[in-house]
Amino acid sequence: MTMQDIDYKKTKTRLDGRKMNELRPLSIEVGVIPNAQGSAYLEWGQNKVYAAVYGPREALPKHTANSLKAVVKVEYRMVSFSVPDRKRPGPNRRDQEISKVLGEALDHAIFTEQFPNTEIGVYVEVIDSNAGSRVACLAAASCALADAGIPMKDLVSATGVGKAYGEIILDLNKDEEDAPDAVDIPIAIMPNSKEIVLLQMDGPLTRKEWDSVAKLGMEGCMQVYEVQKAALAKKYEIGEALVNGKKIAKAENKTESKVENKTTDKKEDKKSSAKTTKKKVKK
Amino acid sequence: MKQIVIPGEIVSEERKRLGSNVYVLNGKIHSKVLGIIDNESDTADVVALKGTYIPKRDDTVIGIVNRVVFAGYGVEINSFNESFIPRKAMRQEAKLGDIIVAKIDDVNELKEANLSYPKKLYDGEIIQIIPVRSPRLIGKNASMLDVLTNGTNCEIFIGKNGRVWAKDGNIDLLKKAINFIDENSYKSNLTNAVEELLKGEKK
Repeated sequence: MTMQDIDYKKTKTRLDGRKMNELRPLSIEVGVIPNAQGSAYLEWGQNKVYAAVYGPREALPKHTANSLKAVVKVEYRMVSFSVPDRKRPGPNRRDQEISKVLGEALDHAIFTEQFPNTEIGVYVEVIDSNAGSRVACLAAASCALADAGIPMKDLVSATGVGKAYGEIILDLNKDEEDAPDAVDIPIAIMPNSKEIVLLQMDGPLTRKEWDSVAKLGMEGCMQVYEVQKAALAKKYEIGEALVNGKKIAKAENKTESKVENKTTDKKEDKKSSAKTTKKKVKK
Repeated sequence: MKQIVIPGEIVSEERKRLGSNVYVLNGKIHSKVLGIIDNESDTADVVALKGTYIPKRDDTVIGIVNRVVFAGYGVEINSFNESFIPRKAMRQEAKLGDIIVAKIDDVNELKEANLSYPKKLYDGEIIQIIPVRSPRLIGKNASMLDVLTNGTNCEIFIGKNGRVWAKDGNIDLLKKAINFIDENSYKSNLTNAVEELLKGEKK
């Protein structure tokens, strides 16, 4: 059987054994780069992505600054060994385009008007790729932004969705992206308001197919959102501060009693000073 | 009960007084940042876990002179804009790298801070922490500051911009304690833990 003979309607499972509405295994870790203000590492199937956030900081060169809001500058880069054939390092046309659309997507989620005249630098580096690297970068970047403590309306959750081998499927891999009837649609939403912040499409679909693609894409994004949420909450676990792994007994009302002592001391001081002044007067 | 929220997550579905780091969407209160909320409180308020310093009026900040011109000094206050102090406002002459403590008089629409009452700090060291965690270094009724000063015998100055100036005393121990507070800033019973830590190190 050649690749052209594959029909998902007959096989019912995909080339890598997934169901039609199943994501590749996804894991996110937050706070991996100590020198960055916020950072995240994401593994999504074979995709491996680092994202780092610096800022808000002074916008340079100065003509890029906007006196009404912060500028979100995204740099999407693929390292030379991230694809089967060596990629020339340095930005090419594709990198520039993806940087632009990622920046615009994140710009919707950030309260940029709180930081006039500044820039927020987001650097995403693709270490390994296998289709859907732009949505992986977007998911990682939004986690890194939240980790940096930048005020946001919402996280940005993204996934790939589309058609391959005659079936509407979620999260296409490279083999599916290369199918003869493939349509790849990266979609990114803000999960709480369900606003779409990124949507691209590279092939024809019927109206009916489009409806199911949109529905499946939303479901996929919500699955990604759950992973992002868990990754961010995992870094901080609420509890008591431990010293050398031991719990420390609470001293009850200690601060209050201290304050009381202070105030009584002050009163006494005042009294004593009053007394001394009286004595002086008497003298 | 305390709980971690992420950006966009609902803080409260009821009407509450609005605190910091929240916004309202469709009648529900959402969080703007990754932070901690207190469900039992009647104000919807998120305490951020990370973030840059945004200058606010009446804050005391510690700055470093990074530009000297004829008219005055450019002071870096850990914000995204440099502040300027006219030479007239300073009692002493300052040079590059000097440490200055000042109060923020006014902040304009570009978040540029106007400093007043500048004072030079001599000697000492600067310790940097995440700015949103600096209130934890002071504590309720300055309880944490008391513990730090008594435990290390240092002269301490805490700026709201995440800079701590310290002089004399056991500065290495102070750095350790401040690091501990920085790492555990979102946990409870911190003052007692720091007291215990300082006691243990002294022995």
